[in-house]
Amino acid sequence: MVPGTLPRDSSMTGNDHSALGHPAVITTGLTKRYGERLAVDGLEIELPRGVVSGFVGPNGAGKTTTIRMLLGLVAPSSGSATVLGHSIDHPAAYLSHVGALVESPAFYPTLSGRRNLEVLTRLGRLDGSRIDEVLGLVELADRAGDLVRSYSLGMRQRLGVAAALLPEPDLVILDEPANGLDPAGIREMRGLLRGLADRGQTVFVSSHQLSEIEAICDHLVMIHQGRTVFQGPVAELLESQHSDLLAMPEHPADLARLAELCSRLGKPARVDGDTVRVAAPGDWAAELNRQAMAGGITLRGLQSTRASLEEAFFAVTEGGQD
Amino acid sequence: MLAAFSSEWVKLRRRAVLLWGLGGGLLFTVLITIFTIERAVKVIGPGFHGHGFRITVAQLSQADGLVHGFVDASTLVGIVALCLFAGATASEYSQGTMSNLLVRQPRRAVLLAGKYLALALFIAIAVALAIIVASAFAFLLAPGKGVSTSAWTSSTGLNDLAQSFLHVYLACLGYGVFGMALAIVLRSPGVSIALGVAWVIPAEAIITAIWSNGDRWLPGQLLSALAHGGTSSSSYSHSLVLLVVYAALAAAGTVALFARRDA
Repeated sequence: MVPGTLPRDSSMTGNDHSALGHPAVITTGLTKRYGERLAVDGLEIELPRGVVSGFVGPNGAGKTTTIRMLLGLVAPSSGSATVLGHSIDHPAAYLSHVGALVESPAFYPTLSGRRNLEVLTRLGRLDGSRIDEVLGLVELADRAGDLVRSYSLGMRQRLGVAAALLPEPDLVILDEPANGLDPAGIREMRGLLRGLADRGQTVFVSSHQLSEIEAICDHLVMIHQGRTVFQGPVAELLESQHSDLLAMPEHPADLARLAELCSRLGKPARVDGDTVRVAAPGDWAAELNRQAMAGGITLRGLQSTRASLEEAFFAVTEGGQD
Repeated sequence: MLAAFSSEWVKLRRRAVLLWGLGGGLLFTVLITIFTIERAVKVIGPGFHGHGFRITVAQLSQADGLVHGFVDASTLVGIVALCLFAGATASEYSQGTMSNLLVRQPRRAVLLAGKYLALALFIAIAVALAIIVASAFAFLLAPGKGVSTSAWTSSTGLNDLAQSFLHVYLACLGYGVFGMALAIVLRSPGVSIALGVAWVIPAEAIITAIWSNGDRWLPGQLLSALAHGGTSSSSYSHSLVLLVVYAALAAAGTVALFARRDA
């Protein structure tokens, strides 16, 4: 386990989701080696059901290889995994309940969007009436008859998501679904993924857009160099990160005095404009207020700041490189 | 397997596939049929050594005269089949669609078998279309060259027509197995088609020029013999048995590789 990251234990795997049944995905020592290179190195994941879980990590961390192993496209070198309770050695047992968008969306350019989905519904013996439903969901119904080669990247991405939703899956695995989407498309995607989770479907979504992950995911799996460095509720990760208190004295003349006071109390502080930034957790705010009052300093503002997911991501992954 | 077959059929209805898959074989067959009849002579002179599809009017007037052009075009029709099977399979890799297919049908042997069956039906239609249109051209052109068509419609003639269809179709299925095998191994439509065509035409020609028994063992030569209903150097049964063995080995190797390799 990379230093500075949270160890995997029961509290990390989402106690809030324990009522949602057995995990959708469990990996145990999952490893994929390509020659000398370890793409995935003993990965341990436990993905609760019914959540939108973000799958993040730097480029080359092993996200896509992991997804491909879960889908039975790539055989692991060692370790094991289950998806919806079935071993990945037998993908036929669970893939009819899984929808997936792997890497960039791939379609037959000289077939229409609708015909492309028809290829998949026929192959998977799925209900053909789902085609219009999913095309409507991703707002492609009016372009469904056009050849895919005339689609923009964003439209192909939406068609990829539509393809993933065809089997009314219990588990949706999406690899970078927001690629190529404009801001409105990203917002729609966010709503779509939340809607899936609200209906009890599990969504496992990899993305480089950490702000999006933070906005839509309630669970997170973070990997680095093929290993799990964090998994659990997003809030848990953010709370584990360094946080600051921002204190604003009524009188600017008190800035330096307040910073000194905090430092004396064991909380490093520095003046930042008209604010004193104190390296302390949010629950120290009341104590800071009391101490300032006792020291004759009136505060006109006091707020807690927390690390963004991006800051947490870099803290965890860069820590891992040390 | 029926699901994979049905799914593949959606892709085979694309305009480009219809144009090249059906039109390619048809074009070659019609051109060679026209060429055969137009070049027919009353008597082959002593200076002629039998090259260039030259045939006599009397030969063409026999029961099997109708299918001369069709059978002579069989290698080219077979190459169209090889290109179709190789292209349809390898393009799933080059377009990145193979992953989508394997998520919906993880039983890889079933996916491959369904695809092969759909392509086999498509090529049956292509061969049938080619023989029908080529026959129509033959009937149109024959009177102008003094070729009698009465034997063509006899029971022997119709039997020859049906047998020629079957022989050429079986040869196309063989070309298809080898095309699909190349596609799975190489995963590139361009490379698999180029290598397949290069093997069937120049490579085997060079080998048979060096190795006199080559036409009894090389797959392209055997497929040609099969399409012709057997030749002087390789009988029909010899060609068929050997090709079944070759095709079974190629199919087994292809399925094993496809099932085990990372997609």
